[in-house]
Amino acid sequence: MSNLENKPNNQEMEGLTETGKIKKVRIKGNRNLVVSLLAILFGLIAGAIYMLAIGKNPITGYYFILSGGLKNLERIGNTLATATPLIFTGLSAAFAFRTGLFNIGAPGQMLMGGLCSTALALTLNLPQYLFLPVILLGSMLSGALWAIVPGFLKAKFNVHEVVSGIMLNWTAYWIVYYIIPTYFKAEYLETESAMIPANASLKVGWLSSLFQGSFINLGLFVAIVAVVLIAFILDKTVLGYELKSVGYNRHAAEYAGISVNKNIILSMMIAGALSGLAGAAFYVGYASNMQIGVMPSQGFDGIAVSLLGNNTPYGVLGAAIFFGLLHSGKGFMNAMTKIPPEIADTIIATIIYFSATSIFIERMLDALKRRKRGAK
Amino acid sequence: MEYVVEMQNIRKAFPGIVANDNITFNLKKGEIHALLGENGAGKSTLMSILFGLIQPDSGVIKIRGKEVKISNPNVANDLGIGMVHQHFKLVHNFTITENIILGLEPKKAKLFVDIKSAAQRIKEVSEKYGLNVDPYAKIEDISVGMQQRVEILKMLYRNAEILIFDEPTAVLTPQEITELMKIMKNLVSEGKSIILITHKLKEIKAVADRCTVIRRGKYIGTVNVASTDEAEMARMMVGREISFKVDKKPQEKGDVILSVENLNVLSNKKVLGLKNFSLSVHRGEILGVAGVEGNGQAELVEAITGLRRVESGKIFLNGTDITNLPIKKRIRSGIAHIPEDRQKRGLVLDYSIEDNMVLEIYDTPPYSKNGILNPAAIRKHAEKIIESFDVRSGKGPEAIARSLSGGNQQKAIIGREIELDPDILIAVQPTRGLDVGSIEYIHKRLVEQRDAGKAVLLVSLELDEIMNLSDRIAIVNNGELIGIVNASETDENEIGLMMAGLRKGERA
Amino acid sequence: MKRFTSLLLVVVLMATVLAGCGTGAGKGLKVGMVTDAGTIDDKSFNQGTWEGIKKAEKDFKIEANYLKPGGTTHADYIKEITNLYDAGYKFIVTPGFKFSTAIYEAQEKYKDAKFVIIDAAPNNGKEGNEFEEKVTSNTVAIYFAEHQAGFLAGVAASLQLKEGEFGFIGGMEIPAVQKFNWGFQQGIKYANDNFGTKISIKPENVIYEGSFDRIDAGQQLAAQMFDRGVKAIFCAAGGVGVGAINEAKQRNETGEKVWIIGVDVDQYHEGLLKDGKTSVILTSAVKKIDTVTYTMIKEELDGKFQGGKILTFDVSNDGVGIPATNPNLSDDVMKSVNDVTAKLKSGEIKVADSNDGSLIK
Repeated sequence: MSNLENKPNNQEMEGLTETGKIKKVRIKGNRNLVVSLLAILFGLIAGAIYMLAIGKNPITGYYFILSGGLKNLERIGNTLATATPLIFTGLSAAFAFRTGLFNIGAPGQMLMGGLCSTALALTLNLPQYLFLPVILLGSMLSGALWAIVPGFLKAKFNVHEVVSGIMLNWTAYWIVYYIIPTYFKAEYLETESAMIPANASLKVGWLSSLFQGSFINLGLFVAIVAVVLIAFILDKTVLGYELKSVGYNRHAAEYAGISVNKNIILSMMIAGALSGLAGAAFYVGYASNMQIGVMPSQGFDGIAVSLLGNNTPYGVLGAAIFFGLLHSGKGFMNAMTKIPPEIADTIIATIIYFSATSIFIERMLDALKRRKRGAK
Repeated sequence: MEYVVEMQNIRKAFPGIVANDNITFNLKKGEIHALLGENGAGKSTLMSILFGLIQPDSGVIKIRGKEVKISNPNVANDLGIGMVHQHFKLVHNFTITENIILGLEPKKAKLFVDIKSAAQRIKEVSEKYGLNVDPYAKIEDISVGMQQRVEILKMLYRNAEILIFDEPTAVLTPQEITELMKIMKNLVSEGKSIILITHKLKEIKAVADRCTVIRRGKYIGTVNVASTDEAEMARMMVGREISFKVDKKPQEKGDVILSVENLNVLSNKKVLGLKNFSLSVHRGEILGVAGVEGNGQAELVEAITGLRRVESGKIFLNGTDITNLPIKKRIRSGIAHIPEDRQKRGLVLDYSIEDNMVLEIYDTPPYSKNGILNPAAIRKHAEKIIESFDVRSGKGPEAIARSLSGGNQQKAIIGREIELDPDILIAVQPTRGLDVGSIEYIHKRLVEQRDAGKAVLLVSLELDEIMNLSDRIAIVNNGELIGIVNASETDENEIGLMMAGLRKGERA
Repeated sequence: MKRFTSLLLVVVLMATVLAGCGTGAGKGLKVGMVTDAGTIDDKSFNQGTWEGIKKAEKDFKIEANYLKPGGTTHADYIKEITNLYDAGYKFIVTPGFKFSTAIYEAQEKYKDAKFVIIDAAPNNGKEGNEFEEKVTSNTVAIYFAEHQAGFLAGVAASLQLKEGEFGFIGGMEIPAVQKFNWGFQQGIKYANDNFGTKISIKPENVIYEGSFDRIDAGQQLAAQMFDRGVKAIFCAAGGVGVGAINEAKQRNETGEKVWIIGVDVDQYHEGLLKDGKTSVILTSAVKKIDTVTYTMIKEELDGKFQGGKILTFDVSNDGVGIPATNPNLSDDVMKSVNDVTAKLKSGEIKVADSNDGSLIK
């Protein structure tokens, strides 16, 4: 008899009976949402304290972040455009987390995805309806291939994917550093590739003009499709069942005849493909070309997005848009309130930090509940 | 009579279950008081409340007559309450002394840990209670039984007067159990008071003075052990008559289902764990494998199930060579496996029960089609197992496996494996750590498999279980088959000698 | 008490409103800046620009602010320019070649705003025939003659140290940095030829690190060069140079005598040792970004904004050079350098802004 059996299960309300099955599922969802929302709230409060400490009014600060991200269609478009790569990298991290892996190699996979899509965009010349799928597929493949390496090392030699992932980030960084100037350099721009031609860009005219010339692009729709697809794979398919089994308990998976090694590699590949798509969405969507010497921060932010989103695909979607709003509105807050950018970055980082530590909120809620029960 | 502990009308509810419902428990000074109940009856909850790990919803706790509020384990320690947990909390590369003084190191010149004086004191305490430990031995070098004594010493070193033993014998060998009983008696004769949490009636009978029985969170009664027989206590615990004998129809031995030939298998230490091993199991029989732990049982089971590579030799299932078949194919060809460690191998603890029930068949119809899972079919399958194998949980098929008690986890695994309708069921320690009611139930199920013309390969460290259930008994020692005997023609003595490696005829 | 609170509230509100209105001085001009990769205190490019703006803020009572983009893409830059514009900043300074396509777009999009772009001219970034460079009437593009600054630094350093091995650490291999390098090597040669110094520079000691922000890499490269016997390193590498300065400081603290030649701004103070008196900065190849930025703002306030022009700053208009005073250079050396500067101004000496093959990298 272990102590675990009597551990109160938080995701369940007291006194619910068999008839409340559907209700239970809903309450479980709500509970996670509440935790994430509370995390955001605490982040905002911490940020507000920070603003007060430097003598700024937090209400105006937050007002300008919001209006900076949402004031008009152009800004809404830019918020969504900023969120798009984060949706992909967040999904990538969440997928890996759910299957017991920590994909810190997302920046490298994103770079390789971006490199492949840039290379395709600057080499081929196809009609748009064909070109875009080819580019997206290319980015997925290269991201997946790049992620095979840590997957394989983990499966075969038990090399931790964090170690190999970080090293591969820098490998990708330097590969880009070499290939872009050597083969794809813009004639008149330094440290950048040539501009992505219009028929290869995820930015399309009708969408840009719908959002008043913002940087929103087709990547957003691909990202939403990816969210739905990943949610489906994780919850409804044999593949998802196997991947999660390996993630939760590889010994039990092995016992049941599920190939642990195959699934680790497969899981890394899917996570890598998602990060690769982030590269396409960023370099041939949001940006107009690829630059060298930059490790994409979206790759790392994906981890925080995933944590805030409770490692669920739909949670990731919401969290990424929230992060997009923060990143997008920050500059306007700077401009309007004269809060220096460095402080603004700290405020954003504080909000993200608190948001990503929802586990503490969870503990706190439990403690509150216990105390309440104790007082009864 | 003086009570050192009085717990009155304790109530504690968790979501979906009332773990303790108005329970009263009184401990006299200098007695061994057993707390008896099935898995999930609420014993651990009650003791966690006493030890300050959880807070009761209502009820009064008095220690030495004074009402107290035990808000955390430190308060319990200050009150002289100590607990020996089922899973030891020791630092493996520390010495016994270092482990015992951890947290309250005696200091020399306020700077250096005074190991010497601590070790001296530990030696004294150890001698006083007949614990016989070497203060300078490292934990990783000593036996499980010795580790448990370190846990006991830890409490004594902290001047505990009230000692709680949580299922202390679950991890011990028969000899170690006898030793432990002796130690417990020493402790009470020195004035300590002991609460013994257990579901093993034999042990209660052997050491306890009184016994309090709880069932499904409710107080059933407190009895004097000397004047109550085991059957009566069992009845109180389970709520109905229990039979200790397994009913078995006469054996109808059929064809060979599984045979292994000249099997050589490496152990984790990369030496031969199984040497030139041959064995066959027939339809309609339970073949027991008896032996001291670590003598090749694990290697045999893992070789058959495919979890471990075979160096040389062959495995046949129904005449087909399965030596190099992947695990999944073996399961499909009719091997089911109740693993030794239910939490490590048997269950994905973070999955719901229903997801666990299809662990081996999720990719076959009707549980999935074209790669898409069929939740309705999975739910139905789980409900069937839950019902026919009496798996109790707060939330039925949706319950997370982790939240179930050990017995119910085990019943779920056994249900899942039997539902596979295997030709051969490999059951490793199927009743380890379970209560009488569950054991009886599981034994019945194993015999049913046999009676249905299937085969069961039973690996157990409990000789009683092997002797009771098996038709034939294979005895292993040091990776070799020492011999096979018919259960009806042998006795504990013969098997014990064979377990020690003596073949028939070698004996003088 | 309640009344006091409401009074307080009114005061706060009034203050906010007033602050929002601004003081109206400096014709209410609001000057904004978007930083390039790297921080505002990069001891070089961003910092130089911002110091010019801050000086103007003090002198002309204008309003000033800077924004830091989330990345270095065209989109990131455009977003920050939009933020500045929407917040009423109609005079926007962008230091760095990376802004060329962003300003190309912004100058058309925000016709009522003025733009100053440094080290580049606005262009569409396209290839071949589609390429277009365009400076509209609301934009000024500014170039510096980095090769002249490098040349003078090379001459000054050679004269001061007389003999030994020099090195060069660049950031990314881009024209502005390359011109520093080429000018520096020409300056060494000029000193050797005309003043009899014996300074050499070996190919393995001319390195482009590849970024402007990896301080640790800069330190490592500098350590390797010093170990190879290099006496002074010219760093045109932003944050990478900061690492090199740190390495030089550490070595000087332990008695080793090595030097760094700074870049963009007078980095003398960055090179001060713990004693606060001696600096490892021998001299600096200065681009007077701060002065030029200040001048641009002043011209705008005076109604003389030179919109539509590409301006080049060199020794002739005191846009580049080395600091007039530096305790590490002797008076004799300064005198000779001033002579050379005069010859540069008169055209007697010419410094090439490209590599004809005789220079390293």
